[in-house]
Amino acid sequence: MRTTRMLALGASLLVLLSACSTGGGSKPTIKIGSDGFDEARIMAEVYAQALEAKGYNVDRAGIGLGTRDATNAALWNGQIDMKPEYVGSGLSKLGGAPTSDPAKNQAALQTAESAKGITVLGFTPGQDTNALVVRKETADQFHLTKWSDLTAVATQLKWGLATDCPTNPVCSAALKNSYGIDTTKLQVTLLDACSSAMDDALTNKTVDVAELCSTGPEIIVNGWVRLEDDKTTQPADAIAPVVRNDYLAKVDKAAFQAILDAVSAKIDTSTLAELYKEVSVDKKDLKTVAAAWLQANGFTQGTPASS
Amino acid sequence: MGSGGNPLMELISAIARWFDDPAHWQGAAGIPNRAGEHLLLSGAALLIAAAIGLTVGTWIGHTGRGTRLAVNLANLGRALPTLAVMAIVLPVTAAMDPELGFKVYPAIIGLVVLAIPPLLVNAYVGVSGVDREIVEAGRGTGMRERQVLWQIELPLAVPVMLAGIRSATSQIIATATLAAIFGGPGLGHYLVEGYAQLDYPMMWAGVILVAVLFVAGELVLAAVQRFLTSPGVRTGYVLASADHRARAIRGESA
Repeated sequence: MRTTRMLALGASLLVLLSACSTGGGSKPTIKIGSDGFDEARIMAEVYAQALEAKGYNVDRAGIGLGTRDATNAALWNGQIDMKPEYVGSGLSKLGGAPTSDPAKNQAALQTAESAKGITVLGFTPGQDTNALVVRKETADQFHLTKWSDLTAVATQLKWGLATDCPTNPVCSAALKNSYGIDTTKLQVTLLDACSSAMDDALTNKTVDVAELCSTGPEIIVNGWVRLEDDKTTQPADAIAPVVRNDYLAKVDKAAFQAILDAVSAKIDTSTLAELYKEVSVDKKDLKTVAAAWLQANGFTQGTPASS
Repeated sequence: MGSGGNPLMELISAIARWFDDPAHWQGAAGIPNRAGEHLLLSGAALLIAAAIGLTVGTWIGHTGRGTRLAVNLANLGRALPTLAVMAIVLPVTAAMDPELGFKVYPAIIGLVVLAIPPLLVNAYVGVSGVDREIVEAGRGTGMRERQVLWQIELPLAVPVMLAGIRSATSQIIATATLAAIFGGPGLGHYLVEGYAQLDYPMMWAGVILVAVLFVAGELVLAAVQRFLTSPGVRTGYVLASADHRARAIRGESA
């Protein structure tokens, strides 16, 4: 009896071991993280499943971690190996001056990140930008079409800005330097960037001007007005995976980059908005949305990832 | 000895510098205003929760009616995360009042749901736990029901009720930090914005200030408890066993 049990145990251990070695023994697990809002989360999940389809193991604990301050710290300290980054906003956070050209932003971001041991991979043709959005009736009442129109009426409006706005160079500083709007003198409610709380606040008139993502589906769904950033303070924010060099050193870097660059190349602005909407408005499961898109675009075969 | 290079010492001196900065003591985002908001929010939630929890708990303790339903409903409240309660009621309250309905009412409702269980259960246990012989003796001397309640049951139940109030207060003060997630009042701002901006001194300042309020609340209530407890009830045994029972009903280990 005892020997058969031992044999059975040994056999099952062997099966387990071989399963491990075929699964990802040669490819170390990659810890993927992202900002807290849905667009960043879905992009992280898409990259994650694309890697899984090529035999990589993925640790998703860092997806939805928080603001850029939080995800940058996690990336630089090695709590995560990779995250999708918005090349313009990411650059300005590191003290750079982003332009409206995503290629220049990506190159400058790479220069800034090199010191931290980070590689910036290829960026998406699709872009998302920080947007200031008002309700239709507010736009009509105050004749608002662009950010400059806000300067004269700023104190009459209630503002909903991101929780990192006070220290974010493209937020408070940009509003003050380029538009003469001093956010410390306004009625400001700080809420998570591009979150449903921000949408709720604008819907319920808790705020009149809300900082949202330009790809945010709520803008269209609710018929809100996105104001034009006429002094172009907001950077061109294409998305690129940023990866720790010490992780890349453990894998075939060219093959790894090829997988993610191929995915990024397919993400245009409308794709970005559509993925964002399916998660944020349609409330579909992150994994389901990512799996369906990857399959539809030929990155994975017939059977969608079961989760 | 020097602080250079020692991360802990650097953090401590950064926190000290944060508290030392006069800008952090002024205006809407300053410590006095945020602490005041925190106390106001906590106090409002505690008052409403006490009005509901103590009244219902006393009533079922006195009459013995609806005990199971009330206690189970109250304990159900313990299973609801405060943040979930806030998110559920927010669309309704925000539609009623864009300002307070978004920033304040959801937090108050969430905190009330949080605080009712210890208040209700302890009031019930305190009142129902009064020795029936004393109650009957009161009735035997011709006391009316109202007199039995106010002159016998409630004075004897005060220590257990106050234990419930202390428990509720500490939970409210700690949890009221959630209000800041929806731009609401209180010390939670230092936690939410400190995390968003990865400003550790700000986050620690929030933690320390909440802890200070928590301890202050405990001290005040301990004094109130001492003051309100009638001398004849200040014996350990009765209280300890009643508090033990209340914990058991609330499902806590003693």
